[in-house]
Amino acid sequence: MKNVPPLSDFCASHDCVFEAKGLKKEFDDGRVQALRGVDFHIEHGEFVAIIGPSGCGKTTLLQMLGALDLPSGGILHYRGNSLPDLPDPSAYRAREIGFIFQSFHLLPTFTALENVQIPMFETEISASERNDRAIELLRSVGLEHRLHHFPSKLSGGERQRVAIARSLANGPSVLLADEPTGNLDSENTGHILELIIRLRHEQDMTLVLVTHDLNIARMASRTIQMKDGLIVSTREAPHTAN
Amino acid sequence: MTFLTIVVRGLLRRPVRTGLTLVGISIGIAAVVALVGISRGFEQSWATGMKSRGTDVVVSNMGATLTPKPFSATVRDRIASLPQVAATCVIFVDLTSIEDSSMMVVSAREWGGFSWQNLKLISGRMPKDAMEPVVVLGQTAAEVLKKKVGDTIQIEAEELSVIGIVDGGAMVENGSVILSLPLFQKMSGNEGKINVIDLRATPGMSEDEVRRLCEQINGLIPEARAMVAGEHLGNSQAYRIISAMSWGTSLLAVIVGVLGVMNTMLMTVFERKQEICILLAIGWKRGRIMSMILWESALLGLLGGIVGVLTGSAGVHLIEKLPAIHGLLEPDLSVQLMIFSVAIAVGVGVLSGLYPAWRSSRLTPSLAMQG
Repeated sequence: MKNVPPLSDFCASHDCVFEAKGLKKEFDDGRVQALRGVDFHIEHGEFVAIIGPSGCGKTTLLQMLGALDLPSGGILHYRGNSLPDLPDPSAYRAREIGFIFQSFHLLPTFTALENVQIPMFETEISASERNDRAIELLRSVGLEHRLHHFPSKLSGGERQRVAIARSLANGPSVLLADEPTGNLDSENTGHILELIIRLRHEQDMTLVLVTHDLNIARMASRTIQMKDGLIVSTREAPHTAN
Repeated sequence: MTFLTIVVRGLLRRPVRTGLTLVGISIGIAAVVALVGISRGFEQSWATGMKSRGTDVVVSNMGATLTPKPFSATVRDRIASLPQVAATCVIFVDLTSIEDSSMMVVSAREWGGFSWQNLKLISGRMPKDAMEPVVVLGQTAAEVLKKKVGDTIQIEAEELSVIGIVDGGAMVENGSVILSLPLFQKMSGNEGKINVIDLRATPGMSEDEVRRLCEQINGLIPEARAMVAGEHLGNSQAYRIISAMSWGTSLLAVIVGVLGVMNTMLMTVFERKQEICILLAIGWKRGRIMSMILWESALLGLLGGIVGVLTGSAGVHLIEKLPAIHGLLEPDLSVQLMIFSVAIAVGVGVLSGLYPAWRSSRLTPSLAMQG
């Protein structure tokens, strides 16, 4: 991975995790422009909420940050390294990033305990270590009594807790959450957000969360508002969950 | 949880489809085991029969039928004097229907020839002279024909007495009706004709020397062909056709198996598209995804192979017991054949999984964000 100089003076003097300049993403041979030249930076330990209407490019931006897709143009750095030029994007996803999806995306034929172990297959730890670590993670999300339950036997809130535990499996430094409470009722939404924020704090992670919900966005240290593939405003929160 | 757990769970997602695919592979492998086992067993059975008679070289004219074509007995005179030939025994062998048995080997042997020497009497006695109207039965033939010493047996238009039951030391020998050559030649109107010459080479000759002797004999007699005992069956056009059909049918069954597994694995990849994308999104390498699909298809092949080998072996044993062919089959269900068949099944699995695995590795992880 090639180390490149910071794109901005800000990142030259701060611990930037992500830095983007003129970031673009096009689909269908340019007929759809999901990102139309986006500039931003995210510092280590920040909780950044990305808000905006459907189709504004929030999820596409999250995909770029998670190296799930390549940008069509512009520059995107992760800790001073060009993300599109990563020699092994899967290793980056496995070790640096924890994903939390709106629909949980647990594997239905595996128990909670097994689902949490699945990302660990990309690390060198033994089967018993995988098992112990998964138990510990499920305990940290309050599911020690649901270890051997299949996803179909868990409530929505419990499934998302398992998904959160899975996202932490390899000790990532960044959590990318795509509408993590989009499929939950208001009570579970509160619990899950509290859990994510607590874990982020405990494990000193950077959190980038995509949401429609302004109440959730208010909990972030910074909110990036998007519209039509562009960042239209960035707002620092005076009192944050930090 | 190990990687194998993940592989097994993948197969258990659709147990009915996995089960049906297993049945498909196992039928193919059962066909391989049965057909190849029977075909090789037939060949080996003859080889053992030759060995038990002490025959090194077989001179015959194997045409398009399972029994050799007759030729003049005087052919023997042209080869018996060769220095490398220790002894010869002329024979007329025929496959014919006898009473309730649809196919029975009738082996008419030169009176006093060495091909009588390996027969060990179990009961009764041997013929007294060349023209005594009697037969001896191999023990399996006696069992199949339900005959004992003192009974009679009809061959051609003649009724002959069973005067002895023998153990010939090989399935082919034990499944035969054995009588004197002159008697059979007279009964069948084949006076002066034979269709096999059993030949013993001079003791101490190497395998290469025996092969050279065969070449020398082939230069002397255009009527027949000399082959190393045990290999002579390969000279039979009929046997070659049966063997080719066995392999052809097996190959077809294997191809059907390949298509079945490939279809299943493609369906699996298609159905688990999002699951695979999630695995990619949470950091699994494409190689691990490919490996998972390949292991699933290989495991499917392995299980299908094991079930197929068991089914094929059981099927062959059942066929063996059928009254119509009892005593004629000695299938070669060797460990090597079993291992070979299971290896084919695993190969089928791996081969069938290659394309689905490649397809799975081409999926885009960003699809995980959808739905």
